[in-house]
Amino acid sequence: MTSFRRIQPSVFPINAGMDMPVELVTLNNGVSLYLINAGTEDVMRMEFIFRAGLVRENLPLLSTSTNMMLTEGSEYHSSEELNAILDYYGIFLNLTAEKDIAGLTVYFLNKHIEKALELIKEILFHPVFPEKELNMLMKKRLNWYRINREKVQNIATDQFFESVFGPHHPYGRQIRENDYEMMSPELLKDFHSKFYLPENMTVIISGRIHEKTTDLFGKYFGELYSRESYTEVSANVFKGSSEKKIHLKKKGAIQTAFRIGSSTINKRHPDYTGLKFLNMILGGYFGSRLMKNIREEKGFTYGINSSVSSLDLSGFKVISTEVGKKNAEKAADEIYKEIRLLQTKPVAQEELEVVRNYMSGEMVRMFDGPFALADTFRAVLEYGLDYSYFTRLMNTIMTITPDEILGLAGTYYKIEDLYEITAG
Amino acid sequence: MINFIRFRLENGLRVIIHEDRSTPLVAMNLLYDVGSKDEDPAMTGLAHMFEHLMYCGSANIPEYDLPLQLAGGENNAFTNNDITNYYLTLPSENIETGFWLESDRMLAPDFTQNKLDIQKSVVIEEFKQRYLNQPYGDVMLLLRPLAYSVHPYRWPTIGMEVSHLENVSLDDVRNFFSSRYTPGNAILTLAGNINTDKAHDLATKWFGSIPGRAAAERSLPSEPAQKGERNLKVEREVPADALYKAWHMGKRISDDFYTLDLLTDLLAGGESGRLYNKLVREKNLFSEINAYITSDIDPGLVILSGKLMKGTDIKDAEKAVNEVIDELKDSSLTERELEKVKNKFESSTVLSNTSILNKAMSLSVYELLGDIHLVNRETERFRAVSKEMVREAAVSYLNPENCTTIFYLSATNK
Repeated sequence: MTSFRRIQPSVFPINAGMDMPVELVTLNNGVSLYLINAGTEDVMRMEFIFRAGLVRENLPLLSTSTNMMLTEGSEYHSSEELNAILDYYGIFLNLTAEKDIAGLTVYFLNKHIEKALELIKEILFHPVFPEKELNMLMKKRLNWYRINREKVQNIATDQFFESVFGPHHPYGRQIRENDYEMMSPELLKDFHSKFYLPENMTVIISGRIHEKTTDLFGKYFGELYSRESYTEVSANVFKGSSEKKIHLKKKGAIQTAFRIGSSTINKRHPDYTGLKFLNMILGGYFGSRLMKNIREEKGFTYGINSSVSSLDLSGFKVISTEVGKKNAEKAADEIYKEIRLLQTKPVAQEELEVVRNYMSGEMVRMFDGPFALADTFRAVLEYGLDYSYFTRLMNTIMTITPDEILGLAGTYYKIEDLYEITAG
Repeated sequence: MINFIRFRLENGLRVIIHEDRSTPLVAMNLLYDVGSKDEDPAMTGLAHMFEHLMYCGSANIPEYDLPLQLAGGENNAFTNNDITNYYLTLPSENIETGFWLESDRMLAPDFTQNKLDIQKSVVIEEFKQRYLNQPYGDVMLLLRPLAYSVHPYRWPTIGMEVSHLENVSLDDVRNFFSSRYTPGNAILTLAGNINTDKAHDLATKWFGSIPGRAAAERSLPSEPAQKGERNLKVEREVPADALYKAWHMGKRISDDFYTLDLLTDLLAGGESGRLYNKLVREKNLFSEINAYITSDIDPGLVILSGKLMKGTDIKDAEKAVNEVIDELKDSSLTERELEKVKNKFESSTVLSNTSILNKAMSLSVYELLGDIHLVNRETERFRAVSKEMVREAAVSYLNPENCTTIFYLSATNK
């Protein structure tokens, strides 16, 4: 075929506009609303965020159970009624409890805004935690737990966090079957009254924002005050395991799951953006070194990736994959080989350019549309950072040098620091 | 409302363009009208493995991903029973790279024995990871051949067994390409920040010069009506018993499709569905229960699946499920309940239209179905469903003679 196909069409510099049209409104009682007005459809998303994640719990399951019970009955409606009303108005509600934060996200058509706010107020601030529903939830969760523990990737992940953060810290603690017997309505009510405080709530609102949004928030949330304030006790200390290599045997498994990594710096550290870049080269995208080597050249796995994540009190990096049992050792050797290579051989200009452009494209996607903007904004707000984080990230993407990458690989990927957890 | 224009190139390729200037990106979707239903019964899984091979470079481009990443793009693909669908997004200034990549692999992908061997192992690992090494992962490998006797929906997209994948030769791959991946079998859709005229010119420049050729005729056996219940009992190393049921339904383009979609939502749409209220919340028989339609183009299935609470006898669980279903056959349905599921469909349609990629995929699929204007009439179609239609559909489809049931029992839990 004609030669015009031989050459890639011109690639233009990617202009990640990085516009973040956020407006901050503070209600009388101190609640912060962040409004991101964008989009083409008459639909809104609201994310209600509390510092009520796992890190606040003194018993396993407490944070997640409190969160999951929010829709299981309020002072005004039973669980069944609440769910029927939400569905009737086409309101999609997702409850979330992560390591640091917890809350809920709703999506709804603009015409139902008032109903949505009325219900959310009821769900967040007037739950009753009925015993019957709680018992049922615990039985259900125990069932899910048993199924999840059949999967080698979950067995490895649970052990990974325990090894990295220690068996007693909420970041690392593993759930056991008898934990499901420990929950009670009183414990949940106590947790709720300490950590779901209206004044400490943050709301991120995105979409084509209804003109009455701020007024309606004032009406439903602006006059709420807590009965008590709670001063939190200092968190547990991290105590990583001294055993770096753990294998968990799983009867009948035909693949081995790997989790290789350790705790690391988080978003607040100046090296973090560089570490993100380094991670991308190693295993952060389809063209990464780990994917190329272990999937596309050797065919050992369906997928392998590495990630760097932030937590409020720490951070972690982890390489994850599942490989056929007979190739497990060979795969591990190749993973360490790729890490050593990053520590010893400067990255070539061609590869650098690919990663710079790929990450710039990713930045464009992070700022595309109201919901992506909201996610992007939350990712810095949670760490007390602002927009300048993205300016720094973009700067790293465009200017990081091979020497800097060598340095980061040497500092943050010391092989003797890495835990290697396998299950299978 | 999704506005679009469409045209056909001389080689048969259909092109659809939807402008959305609110985004800096363009989504490109390339749908090929070929899926696992087009496979030789002795070589199942080929269509999906072929999707992997499409990423191994083409006549003028040694590697697919590299230039795309260089242009700031991202891509993926999926294969199902009916179609193989490739999609990417790029910053709009670099969209031409997408045309270049997709047209070159439509023209001439570069297959070699080595690439085939590697992708075979990758796909076999995928087979293990998603179907064999997961609790309940093999259930579709059991359910499909029981529910279908002749139609190729009787095997799942991943393939019937690993050996089928192992036996694929380079010639098989080449034949599959030349008989299925023709311009006339494909639909190219662009959605996002692109001028219609520019999109038209680029489509003509890059795809117009690919010679058209005849695709293999599709003649699939139609599945005879099921007469009598089919049952299977298996034991596996899983922590909880599970119940699966499947009923045959009509094809994608039929009025009953919308009715049954609503019906499964009435049964199991989230935590206000009838099955959830009755069997999870009230009676505590299941820890989770779900119902959905497969959305296949040829006559598909209504599928129900549930994991049992420890201590529940599976026969009691089945009986309770049947009671909930039978209630839909009398006139117990209220207007408010029906209105509820319709409102949910309206919300999810609007939400889905916030993504250019979703819009590009929907346009492609409706074009394939033969009526692209349906893309803007979904809510209307759902709104037209009446209580009586739901009742009739429950009576005519959800009956035991039309049903396949699997008792998937825990070997450890006895």
